[in-house]
Amino acid sequence: MNENFTMILMRVVRIIVQIGILNIFYYIGVGIVSYLHIPLPGSVIGLLLLALLLNFKLMKVEYIQDGAGFLIGVLTLFFIPATVGIIDYPELMSTTGLLIILAVIASTLIAIYVTGILTQLIEKREVAKKEQAVTIEEGKGELSVD
Amino acid sequence: MIELIVVLGTIGLFILFTKLYQRFPHPLMIPLVTTTIVSAVSLLVFNIPYSTYMVGGEWLQKMLGPAVVALAYPLYNQRAIIMKYKVSILSGIILAMVIGLVTIFVMLKWIGVKESWMLTALPKSLTTPVGMQVSETIGGIPPLTAVFVMIAGFVGAIIGPFVLKYGKIDSAVSRGVAVGSASHGVGLVKLREYGEQELSVGSLSMGLTAIIGAFLCPLFVYLFL
Repeated sequence: MNENFTMILMRVVRIIVQIGILNIFYYIGVGIVSYLHIPLPGSVIGLLLLALLLNFKLMKVEYIQDGAGFLIGVLTLFFIPATVGIIDYPELMSTTGLLIILAVIASTLIAIYVTGILTQLIEKREVAKKEQAVTIEEGKGELSVD
Repeated sequence: MIELIVVLGTIGLFILFTKLYQRFPHPLMIPLVTTTIVSAVSLLVFNIPYSTYMVGGEWLQKMLGPAVVALAYPLYNQRAIIMKYKVSILSGIILAMVIGLVTIFVMLKWIGVKESWMLTALPKSLTTPVGMQVSETIGGIPPLTAVFVMIAGFVGAIIGPFVLKYGKIDSAVSRGVAVGSASHGVGLVKLREYGEQELSVGSLSMGLTAIIGAFLCPLFVYLFL
């Protein structure tokens, strides 16, 4: 067997095993949600749980990085069945339906625009504040003009 | 048998349209749009009900669970930037949630739709599973909410880049928060192309929007409807 092939095979196996690990987190999340009756999807709880374990070094990132990278790379694929569901709602093609769709589009655009602009402003202030804090710590605060 | 055809067919179309998008990177050519349209049209042309298609579609949809969990990875990689900008990110997410709720409410009131449609459209900015659950909680029609959720996602993925460009919204944090909290996972598909910082801020925004929205949406309905 040539070496290249072995490497590819190893990588495929690693990705599959790691997707299995991610699935375990998903099912733990689903379990927590149904046990505590919280109105949140299990996947979001699984995400938070995994992020916490990684952050506190209770789990090595090497155990999931190839599988996670692969799944994120083909993320689109998993949304397609849900989006195709549009065909079950021909009433959306009525005047009211189209107006609601337009409202959803407009509302989303406004949300992206206003949030983006405001977040950028808040971000600049947050950075400025931090830099100011640093300057004061270094004893140069009195030299700032503004 | 039908499972295999749907799964392999969708994967085939997806690979084909991903290749096509690499050659013609137009916003309307993103694989999510092209694959969805071709799949939907094929079902309509061959008169296949959505429920039959979903026998196989469910296999792919099930992968959404571990795929959402996988977003912990970019989140972990970018934890430094997230901690650095935590105030901006958190306030941006709450702003997006409130703006989204108020604007859709005012517009639908103005159009004069019946209450059940209003309740169906309110959770549009939440990721599909949460949006559907919230819709059920407040008295909307969950599968129809999923459709509005998808439309909000498409807007972020297709028109979002133009809004960011013309609004001169060019920091990773503001891009990630804006698209992630208004257009959830579908928007993330596009954020991925900007870079890992945008993607991680976006996935954090999607997750927190889902959590905050699960509480804010019912509260909003209680206060204003």
